[in-house]
Amino acid sequence: MHAIASGLYSFCHWALESSFGHGVRDSVWLFPAIEICHLIGLAVLGGAILLIDFRLLGMRFQNEPVANLWRDVQPLMIGSIVVMLVSGFFLFSSEAVKMYGNAAFRLKMVSLLLAIIFTFTIHRQVTLADETRYSPFWRKTAAVVSILLWACVGIGGRAIGYV
Amino acid sequence: MHFFNSFLQWLHDTSFSEYIRDSTYGEPVIESVHVLTLTLFLGFAVLLDLRLLGLVMRRKRASEVLAQFNPYLAGGFTIMVISGVLLFCGDPVNFYSTIFFKVKMIMLVLAGVNVLIFNTTIGRKVSEWDLSPTTPRGAKIAGIVSLVLWAAIVAAGRAIAYALPPP
Repeated sequence: MHAIASGLYSFCHWALESSFGHGVRDSVWLFPAIEICHLIGLAVLGGAILLIDFRLLGMRFQNEPVANLWRDVQPLMIGSIVVMLVSGFFLFSSEAVKMYGNAAFRLKMVSLLLAIIFTFTIHRQVTLADETRYSPFWRKTAAVVSILLWACVGIGGRAIGYV
Repeated sequence: MHFFNSFLQWLHDTSFSEYIRDSTYGEPVIESVHVLTLTLFLGFAVLLDLRLLGLVMRRKRASEVLAQFNPYLAGGFTIMVISGVLLFCGDPVNFYSTIFFKVKMIMLVLAGVNVLIFNTTIGRKVSEWDLSPTTPRGAKIAGIVSLVLWAAIVAAGRAIAYALPPP
């Protein structure tokens, strides 16, 4: 546990002192500009996730197999996750050591890891499987877990500036 | 103009405005709701715009996508407006003094005009191009205008917070 913590701390220190850490920190407009990319990525990712989850909950596109919807929005989902990870990393690098000790940031990173793993394993499996394979109860549970995990990421992110 | 400035000052001095401004949770909670509702409103708006451009959900009827998305777009937009108005009420004089707020409001009106034009022209004839392999030019223009305006609206909204004097 101690080895992991000190490894993470060293990583934060490296990011803070890296050329892009300095670059984002020293620029007046770079941080806000990257933040705007991060927000637009949030909207696209949120739309893709919510569309799938609302369908799993039986709220929209009842006559459309959810597997088709997943294939429709998968490029947007992956693309926006990449945009968010890259832009998020640059934002993080400008104040990385401060983030190491930030409780909201820690909550965000743990839920982000869980959300990504859940989305591309269980959630994907339930979505792409034959409609009859999983009962409505499990399909809805997968949707609720997905929304809750991603909500933790979002709320954690919003809270970083306030704690 | 004088009347309007007096109104902003009056609003600023109300206990309601003071509560949003000074309470521990008022402003952060409202702002979080405002930002996170982007996933619902803007997320679905982007999906719809991309459908109008013929880039996603091509096998689904455009009219069906419009009909299915409408309640979420309307609900999301309502939450965005209410939370946005509340944020404005918390600091009306300073909000109004920033150029970004004014630009954002103008672009919101333009986005509304874009929807209105779409609904009264190419959108009315949606059944004619519902499943055609490429969407008509009018629909593409509406989609691009919407994407550009909303990206700029997000940018202007974020900029407001930077332009406000520090608390």
